[in-house]
Amino acid sequence: MLDILSRPQDQIDLQHGAAPKPATSLNAVNNWVPHDIVMRDSWFPIAHSYGIGKTPVRRAIYSQPYFVWREGGKAVAAEFHPAEARMREKSIYTDAAGRYPVMEHYGVVWGWFGNPQAADPAHLPSLPFLPPQGGLPKYMTATQRFDCSAPISLENLIDLTHADFLHADVVGDERSDSETIETFYDSETITMVRTLVNKSVAPIMKFFSGIRQPTQNVRQVIRIYLRSHCAIAYGRFEPGDDVPLFHPCTPETRDRTRMEMVMNTSNAGLLFRHIMPMAGYKVSRQDSSMTSPQSPRYMRPTARKDLHSRFDAPGQRYRLLMQDLAARQAGGDFAYRDNVSEDCSDIIGLRKELFRF
Amino acid sequence: MTESGLQPWWIVARSEEVTSREPLSVDIGAQPLVLWRDAEGIARALEDRCPHRRAPLSLGCIRDDGWIQCGYHGWSYDGATGRLKQIPNMKGEQRFPPVYKAQAFAIAESGGFVRVCLDPAAAAPAPEVSTMALSGTAHVAIEQAAWIAALYDDPALLIDIRGVRFTPYLMSELREEGGLLVMERSCQWAGLHWPAPFSADFPITVLTRSDPATGRTELPLRDDQFTTLLTAVIAPVPAARGVTAVRWRAEVGRGSGLHGRLLGLGTPFAVREAIDAAALRRSKPSASTHYDDLRARLATSSTPGATAELSRTPVAA
Ligand code: FES
Ligand SMILES: [Fe+2]
Repeated sequence: MLDILSRPQDQIDLQHGAAPKPATSLNAVNNWVPHDIVMRDSWFPIAHSYGIGKTPVRRAIYSQPYFVWREGGKAVAAEFHPAEARMREKSIYTDAAGRYPVMEHYGVVWGWFGNPQAADPAHLPSLPFLPPQGGLPKYMTATQRFDCSAPISLENLIDLTHADFLHADVVGDERSDSETIETFYDSETITMVRTLVNKSVAPIMKFFSGIRQPTQNVRQVIRIYLRSHCAIAYGRFEPGDDVPLFHPCTPETRDRTRMEMVMNTSNAGLLFRHIMPMAGYKVSRQDSSMTSPQSPRYMRPTARKDLHSRFDAPGQRYRLLMQDLAARQAGGDFAYRDNVSEDCSDIIGLRKELFRF
Repeated sequence: MTESGLQPWWIVARSEEVTSREPLSVDIGAQPLVLWRDAEGIARALEDRCPHRRAPLSLGCIRDDGWIQCGYHGWSYDGATGRLKQIPNMKGEQRFPPVYKAQAFAIAESGGFVRVCLDPAAAAPAPEVSTMALSGTAHVAIEQAAWIAALYDDPALLIDIRGVRFTPYLMSELREEGGLLVMERSCQWAGLHWPAPFSADFPITVLTRSDPATGRTELPLRDDQFTTLLTAVIAPVPAARGVTAVRWRAEVGRGSGLHGRLLGLGTPFAVREAIDAAALRRSKPSASTHYDDLRARLATSSTPGATAELSRTPVAA
């Protein structure tokens, strides 16, 4: 049941027949140093589309400056501010003109961090619950910041047992008849599915969706795109609503995270549609109260191993996959072995009829 | 911590500060601790770091059964052993291997002080004799060694005794007495009088008796009739980021004169939270030089463990 010597349990390996031989040792999983991980050759969300206009705004990915603005309506990103006196060398991340590859999709502006030659729309994460051309109302979006490293923030997300404690006032306490957790993964993504039978009804749904029953069945999915640190958090509540959330964790520095959040509540009732995205402001501060003291404790290697329960299988798999990918990148291999832009509707169990664009 | 290699017992809290309502975060140097009282009212100390995902346990809560519960994913620990007792949602499977535990530290409570030793196997310290009614806690932005040095060189920078003015003049220089470092300083009553440099006699003295391992200092204020007007115990403990956490207890003695009676009103003793840094840098190391020399000599001349042993020996009043 609990075993600090065993590798995380693989329930199902989606893409491969068998688990690939990992490059990373178990020890490294239980005392990893996420602060040291820098992922390259990936699209990172840097702004909501509506946040970019004619005047350059400054963003950062791993401390690398991104000045973003529109030229003829098209979003562009440069390493230097147009008005900046150049005091430093151009980096390897931009073209001869000092421009980064940029994409605009799902209502988000994405900047490529890595070899500019390798930038390819095929590497953009699939987010099938967001309209490809954007245009969701602004109240469904927000910018949230966390003073922790992006992997710490994503670890927080993939272990949803924390929600019962940290967010009990929003999503309900830990009482349920049964709880199962499954993990699916390939070399670029990990997907966790948590199924709860007869869980205490989320207070926010009780109050704002008018749910009368004392319990509800819940299916929660967390899907993480490892390189871009983008996550999908998709909850299906019976009775209740479908709430898919785009939860990117852009590493502005190795230990500061920026989230350009989009929660598509279009299918929910009028009140809940407006309230639920706002709950994010409260929930993110609750998470931050833990991840912010946690993060410095993961900045240096330690001989002490973290303990885990069976609920941590997805989190441990996440650590393993991140370390494998980081090890490959350290060896100069930046190729994608799996396709992140392929529609993931089936993997996350998206009720497609609710999200047609 | 000590030169002899034995860990001393540090006064990390006053009894009043440790409750079963909410956990208390303290530290010994770079080691963060969480303190609380279990269901039997016994004070407990664990490392302030959940072994699951390293969240501070002090952000959690104390359960009715006396276990501390981490606020992040709800793991619960027993204070006596640090062992994991419960993971939420695990239903029937609540037996965990022995490695599933948080680091527990030795803890002892007496005389209104809670003491912790970083060596979990340390023998219990001798109890403090009595509990003094007045008490307080001050956090000071100065290293503990520097705080103690200032206590010996110019106590007025650090503490305040109502109506008492410390003078630079000593009745006896710092010496070793029964394993403690002892010094006696002449004091005046505040108010208008002949200046200290020209005074033939002083009406009061303050005696300081310090444990060389921890700097725990007993401080009796006496008049020229050897009546104890006030006694304080001060415990400066190194905390995180070079801060010194000073816990103290005090009681007023049997002084009969006007000044003695004034001491009996309210709280006549205080440890300053803020230090006049400009005055501190101007003050010259005098008595503290002896303090360092004596401490070093005690550490080398004593048999291993003797210095730490001293810290377990309460100072008789
Ligand atoms: S960090 Fe304490 S329960 Fe997870
Ligand atoms: Fe959370």
